[in-house]
Amino acid sequence: MAITINGTEVPLPEDPRMSLAEFLRDGLHLTGTKIGCNQGGCGACTVLIDGQRVLSCLTLAVQAEGREVTTIEGLSSGDDLHPLQEAFIAHDGFQCGYCTPGQICAATAMLRELAEGMPSSVTGDLSRPAPLTAEEIRERMSGNLCRCGAHNGIIAAILQVAQEGAA
Amino acid sequence: MTDFLRPATVEDALALMAAGGVVPLAGGTDLYPATQRRALPGLVLDVTGLPGLCGITTGPAGLRIGAATTWTALARATLPPALAALQQAAVEVGGIQIQNAGTIGGNLCNASPAADGVPPLLVLDTEVELVGHRGIRRLPLSQFLTGPRQTARQADELLTALHIPASALSGQSHFRKLGARAYLVISIAMVAVRLDLQAGRISHAALAVGACSATACRLPQVESALTGAPAAEAPALIRDADVAAALSPLDDLRATAAYRSGAAAELLRRSVATLCQPVPA
Repeated sequence: MAITINGTEVPLPEDPRMSLAEFLRDGLHLTGTKIGCNQGGCGACTVLIDGQRVLSCLTLAVQAEGREVTTIEGLSSGDDLHPLQEAFIAHDGFQCGYCTPGQICAATAMLRELAEGMPSSVTGDLSRPAPLTAEEIRERMSGNLCRCGAHNGIIAAILQVAQEGAA
Repeated sequence: MTDFLRPATVEDALALMAAGGVVPLAGGTDLYPATQRRALPGLVLDVTGLPGLCGITTGPAGLRIGAATTWTALARATLPPALAALQQAAVEVGGIQIQNAGTIGGNLCNASPAADGVPPLLVLDTEVELVGHRGIRRLPLSQFLTGPRQTARQADELLTALHIPASALSGQSHFRKLGARAYLVISIAMVAVRLDLQAGRISHAALAVGACSATACRLPQVESALTGAPAAEAPALIRDADVAAALSPLDDLRATAAYRSGAAAELLRRSVATLCQPVPA
């Protein structure tokens, strides 16, 4: 009865109805994961479960039993930032920073979805890989809101990392 | 740990549900926001561990979609063009985080009049499979959905699968929805259209509209008007009055009733036009 969080196995919470977001923040003090709307509308609580992006406010911690959860704390190694973290800084992809962990976790999964050839609702031609355009990134990041309006910087940061990965 | 159940077999699940008061949980994307509380109330039964509830299989009778199949799994699957509308709906349900967790069966059991999955499944003549301790029964989707947030599922039954008959796997389909903005809003109107074209004429038409009546519905009168029509003339045969007659839209904060039925007719015309376009050489 355990979950692996950022590579470390931790026991499940005693209350089986605790959301993963609350468990991460209150149970494990991993406060990088933010709770915004707490009803699946804003994306601030996005984490990765087995590499797939999900909303931790709509997931019970016990539902992640036996699976690997990655939070924003698990993306960097020490002072070495993840390329997306570097790019968000370079492109001013935030102001207040509250939505940023969710944005970066979502973008991490999104880059993998792109690499796997997953189409989006704006991908016209499904027979070839989706083009790396701002429109594609915007559509794929539509589950993450930024009330400061830093979306242009966010899209630019992700686009840069996506293009470097594709090069 | 008695308030969270994660049975490993359908039999165990049914035995637990027989006691009553059990809330089935799949992706959680509707159940959580609906509770408006810190913790889910009642006894929660997680169905995602049950064998046979995830995935899509094809057989001589048609296609079977497990009820706990996620939107992402639907979007990624290789399916006949008749299911294109369902796949288009799948990539437009919320953001991708929602698509990774939310399930098609949950969408049906939650029974929102604006459920994105319903119109595409209605044009596929979908039947739902309900399993209870009295046995298995199948119902047409249109009979399963009995009203806003109401279904024919008994409290001790589980929705286990959707069945699409082989006869409905022909032709091509298309889905369109209209909201105040593209993202993260409840739709004002949505449509799914499935057409069979033969020698430039429509040999079979299935049209459904969602968010414009208590439950999404097919439009038999408009379907008859299209059947046999030349493809090029088809969009013009969809008349506002015929569409409005089939619907009973609400006036609410998102749109007026008149706007809704007008929008539904226009969405239908555009989807029919898309499907009737000559294939580029």
